[in-house]
Amino acid sequence: MTTLDQLKENESGTICHIGDEHLALQLLTMGFILGEEIRVERIAPLHDPMIITSGVNCLSIRKTDAKLIEIKKAS
Amino acid sequence: MSVDDKNQLNVLLVGNPNTGKSTLFNSLTGLNQKVGNFPGVTVDKKSGTFKFEGYTVNIVDLPGTYSLAPNSEDEKVTNKYVLEASYDEIVVVVADVTNLKRNLLLLTQIMDLGKKVVLVLNMMDLLQKNHQEINIDKLAGLLGISVIPINAQIGKGVSELKQAIVNFTSSPITFVDKDSCANAVDETMLRYSKINEIVKQCFNNKGEDKMSQLTKKIDNILTHKFYGYFIFMVILFTIFQAIFSWSSYPMKLIETGFIYLGEWLAGILPTGIVNDLVVNGIVAGLSGVFVFVPQITLLFAFIIILEDTGYMSRVSFLMDRILRQFGLNGKSIIPLLSTTACAVPAIMSTRTITNLKERLITIMVAPLISCSARIPVYTLLISLVIPKENNWGVFNLQGLLMMGLYLIGFIAALVAALVLKNLIKSKEKSSFIMEMPIYRMPKWKNVGLSIYSKVQVFLFDAGKIIVAISIVLWVLSSYGPSNMFQRIEEKYAQIKTEQQLSDKQVHALISAEKLESSYAGMIGKTIEPVIQPLGFDWKIGISLVTSFAAREVFVGTMATLYSVGDEGNTLSIREKMMKATNKDTGEKLYSNATTLSLLLFYAFAMQCMATLAVVYRETKSFKWPLIQLVYMGILAYFSSFMVYHIFA
Repeated sequence: MTTLDQLKENESGTICHIGDEHLALQLLTMGFILGEEIRVERIAPLHDPMIITSGVNCLSIRKTDAKLIEIKKAS
Repeated sequence: MSVDDKNQLNVLLVGNPNTGKSTLFNSLTGLNQKVGNFPGVTVDKKSGTFKFEGYTVNIVDLPGTYSLAPNSEDEKVTNKYVLEASYDEIVVVVADVTNLKRNLLLLTQIMDLGKKVVLVLNMMDLLQKNHQEINIDKLAGLLGISVIPINAQIGKGVSELKQAIVNFTSSPITFVDKDSCANAVDETMLRYSKINEIVKQCFNNKGEDKMSQLTKKIDNILTHKFYGYFIFMVILFTIFQAIFSWSSYPMKLIETGFIYLGEWLAGILPTGIVNDLVVNGIVAGLSGVFVFVPQITLLFAFIIILEDTGYMSRVSFLMDRILRQFGLNGKSIIPLLSTTACAVPAIMSTRTITNLKERLITIMVAPLISCSARIPVYTLLISLVIPKENNWGVFNLQGLLMMGLYLIGFIAALVAALVLKNLIKSKEKSSFIMEMPIYRMPKWKNVGLSIYSKVQVFLFDAGKIIVAISIVLWVLSSYGPSNMFQRIEEKYAQIKTEQQLSDKQVHALISAEKLESSYAGMIGKTIEPVIQPLGFDWKIGISLVTSFAAREVFVGTMATLYSVGDEGNTLSIREKMMKATNKDTGEKLYSNATTLSLLLFYAFAMQCMATLAVVYRETKSFKWPLIQLVYMGILAYFSSFMVYHIFA
């Protein structure tokens, strides 16, 4: 178990838990569903924020928020 | 109920952002639409009508939202309208068929409220490109509502949608019993599992998402750690080049047009107060507003195209880390760029910034970035410091000074943001969760309509204030203490006969002296002691006062003030100002010290009533525009003071 901010570009995992209810709801409504695959597509040149995808959904997120997303890293 | 009411239908248009909702709205209503404000909040309300089979259908296009749990001010409006929709109102949910699962979430929430719902599936063309298939009839059967596939861009399916609205039928299913869920997260997960069951039965996803793959390839270049910033800089440079070179011709045309209009009106109206008010007050004010339309149109055209293609989201992504240091947000980049055209629509575009502190800081510092109203002032003053012939190698020195002023404005905005970041206290969490849409070609009809509405905002919001203040200033500069003006007339009537001057010459002398003894002139003389440390005299004082309506008024006021002594009216304002000398010392009045000081003053001072008004409207308090006026004034005064004393 790790958090999303620990992933490098092109690494992926499964969303297990989101530590903040407001953030969880916001991500859910934007198509990032618990139990589904999440992938780090790109990390900004200054190492923050990052672009993440889940299915066809694609959004930017800061590392402080990514830290709250617990994932199971795909091997 | 009257017969008329029976044939009236009300429709709310809702959907996720980037689903082509606005395009659909445009194809449904054509040009039968208007932009207003939702009561109490500063969110644009687009409404329109269409007629179909004897019915008049009124549509409100609600701001895009992901769910009925609102995050921004825009989304709160949608939430409120949907919740309060009456039984007769039909909610049309627009969904992107290539992202069905997420788009259906909003649908299930609205259906569970017991509203009358029609589902529209947009982007059907992309579905075919991706080799994906959907069984529309099955989906409609499972949901129990009408499902209309459309391609909003080419208007396919629009008449079927009109049919479904007018002949509404449904027997909807229920998804989730809210009371049985512990919290909103559980409820949403339950909705998704229900949606999954439905989507599995009617959606065949054997294909691949070609658009996303293309987007990834483009992103590799556009958000590259080196090329990314480089390309952004090149785009910015190109935009500014284009704005300065392309818009000069239509601007001259508009100016000339208003001069002819003024002359024509002066000719047909009976001479007197009304004539003078119309020509020198209203027409002059309107000219000052319309002359900026070419620049504003061009700049907004570029910004809207960059937004529509999806590139602006990437720029925000690249800039977020940098702007965050200054208490701003990646999303601040759009208002900060727009403000180079005009601060009024720029400040209105800060609404997408959900964090209140970041939004306030963006609003407070944006006017420090030079807008197009400063250009005529800069151009005139720069030509006094640097005569045209001066070149420094390949660089044009005038151009360099102009660039320097833009740079100073931008740096000042960042420094001010940094100060405000430490002054404004906020416990609200800041985040940068923003959808990265796939790249696509701009939809030209939408681009056109967006430009139209932005320019409309400028013309009406900024325009009415500029015209109103122009009229006040006309009064102040046309009237003075009662007998002063009469004495001037008498004095020149005598001089005219003595020195054999022409009517035109006398007229110029009279108007200059009248301005000096008018109320505006008195104000100029009153503030002279305050602005003397900056190297300004009372004439500049008058211009500072008159240009409070809008900065470019400075040039016009200077033209009137210096019309004295130029018999044939052969010299330009620039030449007249170059010749001006200090009465006491005999030295050049517009020395480099005075001119540079004046340039900095115009770069920093809040000389714009329209901006203050829009800041008041957006922050809903007098506090913020007042703070803005004072801090920018202090900044302008002290930097001008310093520059004057360094160069004097």
